[in-house]
Amino acid sequence: MTISEMTKLTELTLVQKEFEDGVISGGYTSDLLSDVIANAEANNILITIQAHINTVAVSKLVGIRAIVIANHREVPIDMVEAAQKEKIALFSSTLSQFSLSVLIGKHIHKQ
Amino acid sequence: MMRIKADLHIHSTVSPCATLLMSPKNIVSVAKAKGLSLVALTDHNCTRNCPAFFSLCKRENLFCLGGAEVTTVEECHVLCLFDNLKIIMEFGQYVESRLPDVPNQRDLFGDQVYVNDQEEILGSVEKYLGNATSISVSELCRAVHERGGIIIPAHVDRPVFGMIAQLGFIPQEPFDALEIYRNNKSAAIGAEEKYPLISNSDSHMPDEVGCVYTAMEMPEISFINLKEALKRGAVFIERG
Repeated sequence: MTISEMTKLTELTLVQKEFEDGVISGGYTSDLLSDVIANAEANNILITIQAHINTVAVSKLVGIRAIVIANHREVPIDMVEAAQKEKIALFSSTLSQFSLSVLIGKHIHKQ
Repeated sequence: MMRIKADLHIHSTVSPCATLLMSPKNIVSVAKAKGLSLVALTDHNCTRNCPAFFSLCKRENLFCLGGAEVTTVEECHVLCLFDNLKIIMEFGQYVESRLPDVPNQRDLFGDQVYVNDQEEILGSVEKYLGNATSISVSELCRAVHERGGIIIPAHVDRPVFGMIAQLGFIPQEPFDALEIYRNNKSAAIGAEEKYPLISNSDSHMPDEVGCVYTAMEMPEISFINLKEALKRGAVFIERG
């Protein structure tokens, strides 16, 4: 599944549109960024409530192409700007991390 | 130039995880016995024991600061310290108002009681104080500095509620220092050159007060001189 295909999911709101498109190979769900650094993989989508500018830096480090901020969490403006600079797609959603993992997982594995 | 012993991270009865033995009176008595000259009361998201603490420290001629160990929205623990009691109590209201409306469960987390300088219980906090507030690290930096205080991320190297575990690395913020956890003997946190490192007891039991402290060099004890000592890096982690 590509990031542009992901923008069509009604459960996700795209809050940072200037991203480099590509195939999402899998996902990683975590709110501890040290854990994301240690265990997430390149081309993953990151599902998290950690709405902080560091999440973008960590994603860049790991090679994560898209981030979903779960559970109505407000996305700070410096995070949006950092994602724009790094060309990482940034979504928000009212769904929980669990629901998003199930939803996105189904779409990724369908293909 | 004098060299003083400072323990800037002490919990009292109102913290959900601290023992009822941690009355301000007991804390002051142990701090004096251990030769500490500068102590700070930092309960979880609450400043309600600071009036008793300030009154006792004044009586015992012990220089004190007050404030709280705030849990930010990113679930980082951050020490926020001030020297003015009026500002401390207003700051405490601001922090408590940003906690979710989740009641304390006394059987799990303790009574969260605040007391006077005679160890008489004045009341208990209804909200569970161990929760995360809705205050971000950035907002907290502004809120503390606007009020003339200092802000120090707590035990940044701890796997739980430490800033490195939560945020991967120390973000670019105007912190006055970073606190290393007391049991970490060789801290390597990747931000040593940018911020002064201190360590404190993070005590929840009386005998823990001052078990680790930060020695500071200053001409005489004052909040301004503490800020200067941090800026100059004249701070040294030691064990009691």
